[in-house]
Amino acid sequence: MADFSQQILRGTLDLLILKAVSREPAHGYEIARWVEHATGAVLQLEDGSLYPALYRLEERGFVTADWRLTADRRRAKYYTITAAGRRRLRDDTARWTQYAGAIFAALSMAAPLPRNA
Amino acid sequence: MSRREPAWRRYLRLLGPDPRADVDDELRFHLEELERAFVARGMSTADARRAAETRFGNVEPRRRQLHARSSRTLRRVARGEWWLGLGDDLRMAFRKLVHQPVFALSAIVMLALGISANTAVFSVVNGVLLRPLAYPDPQRLYLVREIVDHFRAAYPTFPANLRSFRAWQTQVQSFEQVAIAESRPMVLSGDGDPALIQGVRSSAMLFGTLGVTPQLGRTFRSEEDDPGHDHEVILTDAAWRGRFHADPGIVGGSIVLDGQPYTVVGVLPASFHFPGAEQLGPLTHFGARVEFFTPLGLDAKQFDPLGEFDFAAIARLKPGVTAEHALAELNVVQGHIARDAGRDAGDLRAALWPLDDQVVGSSRTGLLLLLGGVGAVLVLVCVNLANLLLARVPERLHEAAIRAALGASRARLIRQLLAESMLVAVLGGMLGIAATWLALHALLAFAPATLPRLDEVQIDGRVLAFAVGVTLATGLLFGALPAWRIGQAAGAARLKAGRARVGETATVRRWRQSLIGFEVGISTLLLIAGALLTISLLKVLHVDAGFRSDHVLAADLTIPPLTLPNPTERRQFIERTIRDIGSVPGVATVGWISKLPLTGETSVSDISIPGQPTGEPVVLANYRLVSGPYFHVFGIPVRAGRVFDESDRGRKVVLISESVARHFWPGQSPVGRTIHTSWGTDEDQEVIGVVGDLRNLRLDGPPTLMVFIPDWAPPMEYATGSGSLVIRTSLPPLAIAAEVRQIVHSIDPAVPVTALRPMDDVVSGSVAGRRFQASLAIAFAGTALFLAAFGIFGVVAYSIEQRRRDLGIRLALGARPATLRWMVVRQGMTPVAVGLITGVAGSIVAGHFLGPLLFGVDPHDPVAIAVVVLIVLLAAGFACYLPGARATRIDPMAACRSD
Repeated sequence: MADFSQQILRGTLDLLILKAVSREPAHGYEIARWVEHATGAVLQLEDGSLYPALYRLEERGFVTADWRLTADRRRAKYYTITAAGRRRLRDDTARWTQYAGAIFAALSMAAPLPRNA
Repeated sequence: MSRREPAWRRYLRLLGPDPRADVDDELRFHLEELERAFVARGMSTADARRAAETRFGNVEPRRRQLHARSSRTLRRVARGEWWLGLGDDLRMAFRKLVHQPVFALSAIVMLALGISANTAVFSVVNGVLLRPLAYPDPQRLYLVREIVDHFRAAYPTFPANLRSFRAWQTQVQSFEQVAIAESRPMVLSGDGDPALIQGVRSSAMLFGTLGVTPQLGRTFRSEEDDPGHDHEVILTDAAWRGRFHADPGIVGGSIVLDGQPYTVVGVLPASFHFPGAEQLGPLTHFGARVEFFTPLGLDAKQFDPLGEFDFAAIARLKPGVTAEHALAELNVVQGHIARDAGRDAGDLRAALWPLDDQVVGSSRTGLLLLLGGVGAVLVLVCVNLANLLLARVPERLHEAAIRAALGASRARLIRQLLAESMLVAVLGGMLGIAATWLALHALLAFAPATLPRLDEVQIDGRVLAFAVGVTLATGLLFGALPAWRIGQAAGAARLKAGRARVGETATVRRWRQSLIGFEVGISTLLLIAGALLTISLLKVLHVDAGFRSDHVLAADLTIPPLTLPNPTERRQFIERTIRDIGSVPGVATVGWISKLPLTGETSVSDISIPGQPTGEPVVLANYRLVSGPYFHVFGIPVRAGRVFDESDRGRKVVLISESVARHFWPGQSPVGRTIHTSWGTDEDQEVIGVVGDLRNLRLDGPPTLMVFIPDWAPPMEYATGSGSLVIRTSLPPLAIAAEVRQIVHSIDPAVPVTALRPMDDVVSGSVAGRRFQASLAIAFAGTALFLAAFGIFGVVAYSIEQRRRDLGIRLALGARPATLRWMVVRQGMTPVAVGLITGVAGSIVAGHFLGPLLFGVDPHDPVAIAVVVLIVLLAAGFACYLPGARATRIDPMAACRSD
């Protein structure tokens, strides 16, 4: 189960992070908590594994980062989605949904294939 | 809390971005949040920290990974921002230029002209001076010259003698190889009209010595140096392509030269060039475009060991052997030759001249002066542009002050300003490099044919690198000063002052005045050089050559020996040609000479009078075969006696020039005396007349000692196979050219007219080098003066613009316009006077370098200097007066109100 979730994760982590910051800027801890909550703790990822992905997204211009104060006035680095990030999120969401739908449909179907002959 | 950031660390961030600290802060925050959450669920602090680290996972490896990643990103971002910023600067610079089209266009065109002229001149200098001779190891190649003690007064050195060459070949150990060559033009016949083409007779080792291997076939073998195997020919690449359609099958085939078949044994590579004109030393003369080589094919035994110094000799020293050592060894051999000759010929020695020095030699000074002149023009272009930019310093200062106040660093401000000048420079440079191609063609068309290695001039990598270098240097040169000034001032400037109050500072004014002084100085220097060269040219052209070249057509003929093998036939051919041409309407007189004046030195031999005591210095004269009417055609005066006529046939008679007469019979008449001539045959001859002195070799030299022999006199009559018809006509000479060609063709179509031009062209061609130098120097000087005047105009006009209020008040207070105008002119002329004085002083120093190029004029000629000073003063005065006149038309009221 752990292996499987890591595999799934590699392709979807970027998508999840973009989704996490799509409503408002968030810092790394918030993003980790959102992912954990949103996936019902199925993915079981270490918080630290978010950061390489975050830095990569920043380099590619899908998010920008800046230092802000939290509600209790502590300094934290907040990530904000860019226009390019939003486009990427939209495209990948569509692709992912289509892919997942197809896989789900396939897995729900009876085997073997119905024959006409 | 132990992980809380110390307060001071935040201030470190003021020093600039710190990606490592950012990573540390971010991770620390995350761990603290996790820890707080676990504590809130009731864990102990220690447990919560452990749990937080587990939840985060691999803290230290991740931290290191992120450190590396973020520094890399930062560097990339910084680089990106620098380029992005430069892009902004360039876009802004471009917008600024577009908004000042007059400034931008004049700057770009000025630069393009300067850069292209420089690049064109540099490419000539590069081809002629800088690129080593196209032979391997050229520093080991030397010309070998012979020094004959008896003849030293007239000719310090001679080309080589065939017998000497044979001795060197076997006895001089310092030579790896040695070869000789002599000019041998021949008539090529085959398809189409016969044509005289330039060739060289050379010993077999010439190509080995020069280090040249043929692209096809072979070079000569050493047995071909002897008679009997010499009907072979090697073609140059140009001849092979131009005349034989690059047919590789030509090797082994045969071509007809001077009516005889020659077997083609090889074709030389395209990179091979043979030095032309007198580049292989005085008294040798090779055609500008050598097309073929034939073997030596000569029997040394038939040559006098102490006469007939006819061959250019080139030696390649063995590696490691010094020229001094080789010369010492060579002189021992020369001593043996003189002793073995068994004649009291005095000392025979030799000289070694580095080949590359010799080939390039005399052109060096002129070309370097040319480069200096054209470089000075480019400097002036830069100075003018710098001045234009400096003039706008005050208004730019305002803009820069705003940018500085908004946080632009000084480096950033300077970069912005430099971007502007670099943009102008690069645009000018691109235009200039394109124009160079054209300029080079113009320059080469105009350059004298005597400039060595002209055919090797091209735009190569080095020339392009030069152009790019010059472009970038100019951008920096004219941009740096104003940019630095503005960067410096903007740092200190406050925004408190309105635009109008930011006036021209005293420093800027001083800079601009120094630049004007510099411009005037350079122009003065160039003008004086140009004036001196022009005076030299005019003096040379007006020198009394001793003959009149106007209304004379000169036609060179070459009779192939096999076409008319018999001297009588040749004489009949020449006489018939002269008679037929003489009957053409408009033709007054027709003469014949074996070699036209001012086309080179040849047939030099000694003369003496019988009974002359031995030991006296030997007198060498130029011998020419002429017909009697020759003197009449050229208007050469007969000072005593008479010229040849029919009654002289069969007698041994000569004419001598005045200097010869003065030398042997000072104060007495030589007519009827006996003179001993040595050219062709050793004989006593009767002097029947004396003709006026002639500058037969060069206009800027002393009169030539001349001996004229009748063209029918045996045994030299064979030489009449090649020579020139000179035709005096009442019409423009070219009007009868076609008819002359037609007559020669109708008498014998196998005889080519190899050149047909007015004698005036020959005279003018002999000073082509001087004309080239003088015209370019004047062109550069004129450009420089124009640039200087333009610069003065700009400075004065600008300072008046700056002082409108001041001038307006003075006018309002009753100052007379004339007084004001004079004040403006006087202030403008102060730096001009300084520049003039420096320029004249500089010309006195530079006169030393110019001296060798001058003729009949002192390098410090006071008249030339005075005229130049007057011209500069007039031009500068005019440039000051124009804006000065405008100053006095200022409306006082408007000027006072304008602020």
